[in-house]
Amino acid sequence: MSSKQLSDKPERISIGAYFELFMNLTRREVKGRYSQSLFGAGWAIAQPLATMAVFTLVFARLGKIPSGGAPYPLFAYAALVPWFFFSNSVMSGTMSLVTYRNIVTKTYFPREIVPLAQVGSRLVDITAASGLYVLLMLYYQLAVTPWAALIPLFLLLLLLFTVGVTLATSAINVFYRDVNPVVQIGLQLWLYLTPVAYPLSAVPDRYRPFFLLNPLTGVVEGLRAVLVFGREPEWGVVAISAGLIVTIFIGALILFKSTDKYFADVI
Amino acid sequence: MSIAIQLENVTKRYRTGRSRTIVDLVASSVADMRGQTTEVHSATRGKIDATIHALRDVSFEVKEGAGLGIIGRNGAGKTTLLKMISRVTWPTSGTVRVAGHVVSLIELGAGFHPELTGRENVYLGAGLFGLTRKEIDRQFDAIVSFADVERLIDTPMKRYSSGLYARLGFSVAIHSNPDIVLVDEVLSVGDASFRRRAMEALRSLIASGKTVLFISHDMWNVRRLCSDILWMDNGSVRAYGEAGAIAETYMNEVNLQAMQNQATSLQSHRGGTGEVRFEHVDLYTANGAPSARFAQNDTLVIRGSYVASKAVESPVFQVAIVDIDTGVVVTTASTAGRNTATTVQGPGEIEIRFTHLPLRPRQYVLRLSITDAFQLASYDVVTAGPRFAVTGQGAGVDSLADEQDGLVTLPFEVTHRPQIRHATDSTQIRHRLGTD
Repeated sequence: MSSKQLSDKPERISIGAYFELFMNLTRREVKGRYSQSLFGAGWAIAQPLATMAVFTLVFARLGKIPSGGAPYPLFAYAALVPWFFFSNSVMSGTMSLVTYRNIVTKTYFPREIVPLAQVGSRLVDITAASGLYVLLMLYYQLAVTPWAALIPLFLLLLLLFTVGVTLATSAINVFYRDVNPVVQIGLQLWLYLTPVAYPLSAVPDRYRPFFLLNPLTGVVEGLRAVLVFGREPEWGVVAISAGLIVTIFIGALILFKSTDKYFADVI
Repeated sequence: MSIAIQLENVTKRYRTGRSRTIVDLVASSVADMRGQTTEVHSATRGKIDATIHALRDVSFEVKEGAGLGIIGRNGAGKTTLLKMISRVTWPTSGTVRVAGHVVSLIELGAGFHPELTGRENVYLGAGLFGLTRKEIDRQFDAIVSFADVERLIDTPMKRYSSGLYARLGFSVAIHSNPDIVLVDEVLSVGDASFRRRAMEALRSLIASGKTVLFISHDMWNVRRLCSDILWMDNGSVRAYGEAGAIAETYMNEVNLQAMQNQATSLQSHRGGTGEVRFEHVDLYTANGAPSARFAQNDTLVIRGSYVASKAVESPVFQVAIVDIDTGVVVTTASTAGRNTATTVQGPGEIEIRFTHLPLRPRQYVLRLSITDAFQLASYDVVTAGPRFAVTGQGAGVDSLADEQDGLVTLPFEVTHRPQIRHATDSTQIRHRLGTD
């Protein structure tokens, strides 16, 4: 089973065992969150749904924000689902290593599995929320065009970005605990700085570059383009986002793997 | 014999102090730029940085299949060593090389989540040790039966006692196909029968060629299991080699400290109304020398000084010798009916002398009490008094190893008549040994 060679590197764990450990922790997270609640995964739908309702009232009715021809609730919901996947993953992921300190300090395993399990547990949420989206589409009788085939691309970008940010914040939070409150507050504000409640086209030109620096802009706008409007996404915006996301992901990976040796000392 | 573990000039420094914040980072960067030391004080939060050396330039090798006992005072670096070998932490400088699959049991039930059931935690824990689901399926029944938790396996572990927790944790670890097992005082929890099975499991691991590292303060167990001992002192290797001589030196040093601690041991676990109280209780050998170690058939002298705060009529002094491992009371000695009846007031001294102690080599603790003449009211109850150890016949530390069961050695005679047939006698009931 093991190579029995004297080595100063940690023992390699098989892909199967790695994956099972990931599934184990993910399952534990999901169970922990939903086992003792009445609605279980229903809460995963309630969050974007309720926010959509409030946004519809505030932004569409009061603020009269245009939604480019699509019904506003659908417009908002389509962006809220990926948003909450990202935001919830980062929120719980940031503290995850500290929360699991008892296994981090006592046994060796690839540390990234802990924040990854947080992201994994939110995949359950996004699946449930997407189910509701399908229902909404039927309700509003929205047609699906061939552009919808690009959905996996945007989901991949979303996943990469979420994993990257979560790895980075969870690692830094081990060493500097005030990262967590900063992240919590930052996420609240970030929602409004991303074109979720409003289209990118509503942003004045002089602010547009800043919005383009937000990697989620491309993801959200792209998803909405192919899913709600059934049209080609703005490739320029997507390219900028993709470039940022890949860079951040690689950077976060390097950061995490170069510091995970020291987690157990400091946590 | 190939090498299983190799440490080369391993040093480990820790930063102590509370969790750092970004403000601290700024403060210490500023201090670094100014060329000041790394000890930074924050006006509001006090000292935030101090370095401790957990390990200092440690080098040694452990061969495959060795049983290594690691001893030393608390804080000597023993747990840090195990954490390095199990890759939980890494050296500040130096190299740690390991061959094979390491399974470690540092503190109870690593990774067990109280909300999950025992079954779920077995899968989680064994998964953390690197087993796949199929492998765990195969070992599951063995794990559960070794830990003796069949009844509670589907109950959330928050309902488990700490002994059960430890047993399941130990069982999962043992069954995880280890090449190297690191055990850290886990065996101090759990009842005597489990401790014996655990020692047996470790012993059979060593016999089958696995390497076991065993941190313990219990020299008896260390001596039974381990062929070599590593003695850590203040982060450095004080001694490393064959168990016998090192254990002897260690025991002598510890013995001295144990005697110095006798006075303080009376403070804990006190009961009683207090009219008469023990002040000091000390143990002596026959020639009046204070000791915490006695040989079999030695004389044990227990001398206690007491103070009666008011006049008390005929108090009864009682001492019980209790085996530490099992909690069994081996014997009690009471002054009732022994002609010491008198009225006491103020200070006094009582001596109880056991000649020819038939106790087996083990560790014992004294329970003391002072009661009234009818042994109804207690003036003083000391549930955990002075400790002592009985050593056996062998030389040096081999006297600490006791393969036989039992608390006392009683005299017996043997008569052996080979090849005698018994005539069947219907008037007598015979106990027949056999397969009926």
